[in-house]
Amino acid sequence: MNTNKRIIRVLVVIALLFLALASYLLWFNMFRAKEVYTNSYNRRQWESEQHIKRGSIYSSEGELLAETRISDDGTRTRRYPRGRLYSHVIGYSSQVYGKTLLEMSRDADLVGKGNIGISIGDNRPGNNLHLTVLDYLQEYAYDQLDGRHGAIVAMEPTTGQILAMVSLPDFDPNTIEDDWEGIMEDKSSPFLARATQGLYPPGSTYKIVTSAAVYENGRTTETFDDPGVFKQGDVEVNNYGGEAFGNIDIKTGFEKSSNYVFCTLGYEMGAESVRAEAEKFGVNKDLEFDIPTSKSEIQYGRMTDLDAALVSIGQGGLVMTPLHVAMMASAVANGGKMMKPYLVETVTTENGTIIGQTKPSVLYESVGPACASYVRDMMIGVVEEGTGTTARIDGITVAGKTGTAETEGGEDHAWFVGYAPAENPKICVAVLLENNGTPGGKTAAPIARNIMRRFLNE
Amino acid sequence: MGMDRLKSAGYRKPAYLLILLNVLGFGLLFINKENNYNLNILYTGAAVLALFLVMYTALVLGRMGDKFIMLMVFMLISIGVLLLCRINLSYAFRQIIWILVGGAVFFIAYFVYYNVKVWSKLWYLYFIGGTLLFLITLVFGTTVYGSRNWISIGPISFQPSEITKILFIMCLACYTSGSWSKPLLGKVKPKWAALLITYVFVGFLVLQRDWGTILVMFSIYLFMIYVYEPDKKLLALNICALVIIGLLGWRFLYHIQVRIANWIDPWSDISNRGYQIAQSLFAISSGGYFGRGLGNGSPYYIPLVHSDFIFAAICEEMGVFGGVAVILLFFLIAYRCFKISIMASDPFDKAVSFGVTVMFALQTFIIIGGVIKMIPLTGITLPFVSYGGTSVVISFASMGIIQAISAKTERKGEPDEHK
Repeated sequence: MNTNKRIIRVLVVIALLFLALASYLLWFNMFRAKEVYTNSYNRRQWESEQHIKRGSIYSSEGELLAETRISDDGTRTRRYPRGRLYSHVIGYSSQVYGKTLLEMSRDADLVGKGNIGISIGDNRPGNNLHLTVLDYLQEYAYDQLDGRHGAIVAMEPTTGQILAMVSLPDFDPNTIEDDWEGIMEDKSSPFLARATQGLYPPGSTYKIVTSAAVYENGRTTETFDDPGVFKQGDVEVNNYGGEAFGNIDIKTGFEKSSNYVFCTLGYEMGAESVRAEAEKFGVNKDLEFDIPTSKSEIQYGRMTDLDAALVSIGQGGLVMTPLHVAMMASAVANGGKMMKPYLVETVTTENGTIIGQTKPSVLYESVGPACASYVRDMMIGVVEEGTGTTARIDGITVAGKTGTAETEGGEDHAWFVGYAPAENPKICVAVLLENNGTPGGKTAAPIARNIMRRFLNE
Repeated sequence: MGMDRLKSAGYRKPAYLLILLNVLGFGLLFINKENNYNLNILYTGAAVLALFLVMYTALVLGRMGDKFIMLMVFMLISIGVLLLCRINLSYAFRQIIWILVGGAVFFIAYFVYYNVKVWSKLWYLYFIGGTLLFLITLVFGTTVYGSRNWISIGPISFQPSEITKILFIMCLACYTSGSWSKPLLGKVKPKWAALLITYVFVGFLVLQRDWGTILVMFSIYLFMIYVYEPDKKLLALNICALVIIGLLGWRFLYHIQVRIANWIDPWSDISNRGYQIAQSLFAISSGGYFGRGLGNGSPYYIPLVHSDFIFAAICEEMGVFGGVAVILLFFLIAYRCFKISIMASDPFDKAVSFGVTVMFALQTFIIIGGVIKMIPLTGITLPFVSYGGTSVVISFASMGIIQAISAKTERKGEPDEHK
């Protein structure tokens, strides 16, 4: 009977509608719920804080970085004694504008969500966070940046501990509610945590990864006749300042930062090889960190060999975060193993019992030890007799690489990434000066040197 | 004979499950210390159970057709009352009264529909009745939440459009079952008369700005002519008309623009127009898969949580899985109802049960879809779960009709007991 057949079809349509409801609900819960929940208008987030005292945050030395004070009438204020210094590490916690960075990602710890026990009275304490960041080094790095836009990341290559992390411009988390409008309108984006969320072409610092690819492709013994410009198809790349280096090998090409040598190598190794090497170092992959990070990536749908030539010198479609550039050099320093970076060393209860501790872990086995030492030797050469001599420290071997990244329509970014001591790495520093217009060896390298020296002298 | 039926496990087991749900649910609410061990919670739960047992026993003993629908309906009612208890106990009390009234209406609808044989001849009465209800609403109605679709008589207020929907379905059923075969006024074919009636009703609803009901009614009409009308051009033309009217509404009607803008992006105007839907999404997002637990959530933040938005509260406290379970319950009820429609032998019964089922299913889809922001929000109640007299009573009445049709099929060829 035809009518019944059509009724069954309507039943199928209704079934699909209900299936759509159920699937949408599950999809929402899986992929959207977290973002929706953390919206600052969701009053549920503050419910958990009605009866607790939010935990404090301390630097590695025990310096107080954030605390909650409760006045007699029960009003809670979040205080940041170090002001702007940690705005792009800790973020802020505001009833009006919500929470960001560590205040958001470690919210469960700070409000003591998992704590078992019956609450007596109104102000059950949350847990405290102890960071890996050294307060003196953070302040020193902040002063070194001296108001210039950019970022500095200092980390321990063998563990992944972040020792200092500064991004400028910044804001004062103590007065966020009064300053909000002005910050939002500020064209220099003070809310952008440049070290972890800013994406920049890494410029010549990326030749570190390209050299690793050169080693793995067995091309280390080649020599080149450098005319000062790489020309292929409609692509034309000059060496910095257009200098022609003549007959040079790869090591000299690295030390002098020859674009001709590395474009040629990238072009000849080809798109697949260049992409594969990038991915070994974590490009195109999401980076899980204590605070949100942007994904460093090669922004091509289909990469040609010519694109690969540009990527090999850290230009073209390649963008990276300063944190990732520091991790890239740290991997070389650590014998080819890239450690997972972290900011929170321990979580303790109010009375000091450790209830959580971050253990160093390997993020990627980027390259083998032989390859790492090949790249390291070239990086030592950069500081001893190449473009990075301004990073030299008396009595200590420094390995590093400069970069001067061209931008579309803006001034160049100045880069330096390096570590010391080269034989037994303790600290790796990446410095980015945004649209500074100077070569990295001139401006960024001395900053990195000062930070490394300050740390090693301590 | 009846007593043996009641003793068989097939009738008892599902009833035990429902009793278990009630005991656990109301028991948990009772021992939640925030509620101060209020005994009224237990009384409410007991009242729901008692109503269920009376109605279910009557259905089984009286051989009144399908027995699963009532079970699932009471599952939904229990979940609804459980949440009302937890949102505001006085709502729960009043809801119990409405369920009592609804239960009575269920049996009245059942017996009246079962025994009156001339339903299929009365299309003009349905039309006149529907029109009168509209006129009364337009003249005496009060505006609630932007829609002028409520009437207050003394302390009781109700939405006449809920009744109109059933009259409308019965009117369409006269035409689709073929019992209305003579042209209207000697000239207008029933097909065009039915079309006219639909548009007249939709026109009235536009005046009341009751967009949810418009959507339900027009969709019932479309599904009806899809199933019954051999002239496929008519269906195509109506779909075109729907699209054109929808686009015009979107272009020129502020109300509809606001709804669509809120659906696409509630966040940019979160403190004003996006407030309601954002609060609903906050509630759902805080529930996770298994919910915050009955009594542990904060559904009070959601405006209208006891009526249109009760599904968000279900998701917050019982989790997304709880929400999906409720969706499945609704689907199972719709499925049983479709089955009754397919089994019905009388063409008028078949059309009425089909129409009522489509109404029930679409209403559920539209409000749940709106609350979870899958489709633009139109305020209608969730059948059997939302608080509200009209909603509960009319939902019971429509189930009474379906039950009567199911009983007719079940007893075909037997001596009739109900006469």
